[in-house]
Amino acid sequence: MTLRLTASGCRTALGDADQTCAELLAGRVALQALPVGGSLGGDRVPLALIGGRELDESAPPAWLPVLDGMVTEIPPDRWGDERHPVYVTSSNFGVGSLHAFQRTQDSAHLAYGTPYLAAEQLRRRFEWGPNVTLLSHACVSAQLGLLAASRRLEAGLADRALIFTYDFISPFVTGGFHALKILNGGFPSPYADRPIGAIGLGDGCGFAVLANGESGPTLLGQSLYNEMHHFTANRPDGAGFEGCLAPLFAAAAGRKLWIKGHGTGTIEAGRLEAETLGRFFPGAPLVAWKGSLGHTLGSCGVVELAVAAAALRGGRIPGTVGSTGPTFTAAVAQASFDNRGFDAVLLASNAFGGAHAACLLAYD
Amino acid sequence: MPLAARMPHAFWRMIERYIIGAAAEDPGDETPAASRERLKESFPRGATRRMTQLGLLIGSVLKEMSPGEADSIVYATRFAENQALEEYLASFPTPSPTLFQTSIHPSAVQQVLIARQQPVRELFPLTGNLQLGAHALQTALLTPSPRVILCGGEERGTWLREHGSASEDTFTFALALAASPDGAIGRVAWTPGTAVPDGAGLTLRELFDHVRDRRNLGRALAIGGALEVTWR
Repeated sequence: MTLRLTASGCRTALGDADQTCAELLAGRVALQALPVGGSLGGDRVPLALIGGRELDESAPPAWLPVLDGMVTEIPPDRWGDERHPVYVTSSNFGVGSLHAFQRTQDSAHLAYGTPYLAAEQLRRRFEWGPNVTLLSHACVSAQLGLLAASRRLEAGLADRALIFTYDFISPFVTGGFHALKILNGGFPSPYADRPIGAIGLGDGCGFAVLANGESGPTLLGQSLYNEMHHFTANRPDGAGFEGCLAPLFAAAAGRKLWIKGHGTGTIEAGRLEAETLGRFFPGAPLVAWKGSLGHTLGSCGVVELAVAAAALRGGRIPGTVGSTGPTFTAAVAQASFDNRGFDAVLLASNAFGGAHAACLLAYD
Repeated sequence: MPLAARMPHAFWRMIERYIIGAAAEDPGDETPAASRERLKESFPRGATRRMTQLGLLIGSVLKEMSPGEADSIVYATRFAENQALEEYLASFPTPSPTLFQTSIHPSAVQQVLIARQQPVRELFPLTGNLQLGAHALQTALLTPSPRVILCGGEERGTWLREHGSASEDTFTFALALAASPDGAIGRVAWTPGTAVPDGAGLTLRELFDHVRDRRNLGRALAIGGALEVTWR
């Protein structure tokens, strides 16, 4: 059985997948210093909002038209029936609406405030059938959708599967990361060896269609691992990163690989990720794009997959935009590079709780 | 065209696993503090101080299962961390970092396993409503690990509950599922098939009721196919 990525797309603060890829190749940073609390002000932190959207949540959410635009790129099918399952993944769904409700007492916000209500609004909006599975595992959510969909296809229980993911930032989430002190005044410089780390946050949504035996990059392997060491720190020996990568090692054998890492801009996680990837896949160039796009949270696995697919179409891989100065390993590619000579890409994501997810795509 | 697409639906094969362990917590109106006091011996010393009620009760039902690194965990909850979420929202304009990280969807399982320093390879945290129980069972049945632990539950909210945005009740359950019938106390089976127009859903609360009472379940689903849970 050969599982393939038959279609993908995304929206970021830099545009659709092709536009995002082109802007990354040009070295553009989408992040801007904006007040962490939206209209309520506060410290300025790096945020990347789509289309000039306000950070404050509105009712209905101002991000719905962004999804409407992206949905036009999804190949039509009987999405949501028994043979065409949909996997909606998000870290936040519409939880920012609860913060807006608490602040304004406008009950219109509640229609998107819980995951199932937000997803049901989308299901009706996009006229999907009832077979819509919802997954939420913080910043590995989209990768979980890919794996759950793969298993259904591998079991012969689906013809095609749609993974649909989104996370639009709001004061709820910017406030939380700011309180954790990793969303601070600094701009992210992924994999750069510097004394203080920083992340940026960005809007993101994406989709991927998986099918058995059609055309498109081949899904060679997927892997998960959950350290359960600490909510916001990895095991210092890197065992969690190794635990996720080890099952993919054999599948990557003989492949000329490049790696799209998680690379948020934090120091310890960035160092562990870069060093472990370097041990497993020596010589494979490592890039991350959150220094420009910001961390698009639960959507990042599929958003960055769509950008990677656009890069494959265009023949040039964006470098680690926003990363400056010495890096943790020599494999970190700060500049873009030509895709010729490579035939596979590893895409990795990490999340709270030491959660790890990765998938390996081969292409000709 | 893929083989699966050409196959008549009659060729869809049944997928099954055997229930080798089951546990349920149905604490009624027990307060978080009372749950903490009742269950504190189930956790490492000092670990319960910051745990949520949902975390404590998930920990209780998982205790009998003793999850290991090779196990896969499928976790289902519609509302997740109601109380941490409510308190986090109330902490603005100086949001609490601890409540923020505790409010994330899979937090209950993570609280338990971090307290026990127990890694697991796979964790699938699901959410949903009318089909949440069905999707959780399907996800568990499609997971290839030798043992899959399906757990889930809710904790009763406070002010968000008054607006329909938090759970009305508190409950948790866990099922340990294995491929072998050895020592089984029950069986879970999914016969995939065409959606039944008037088919039903299976909510998490309904699944919990069947686990707590060890009641058999057979249901044609609006999402296609039929689910069975049978107890010996």
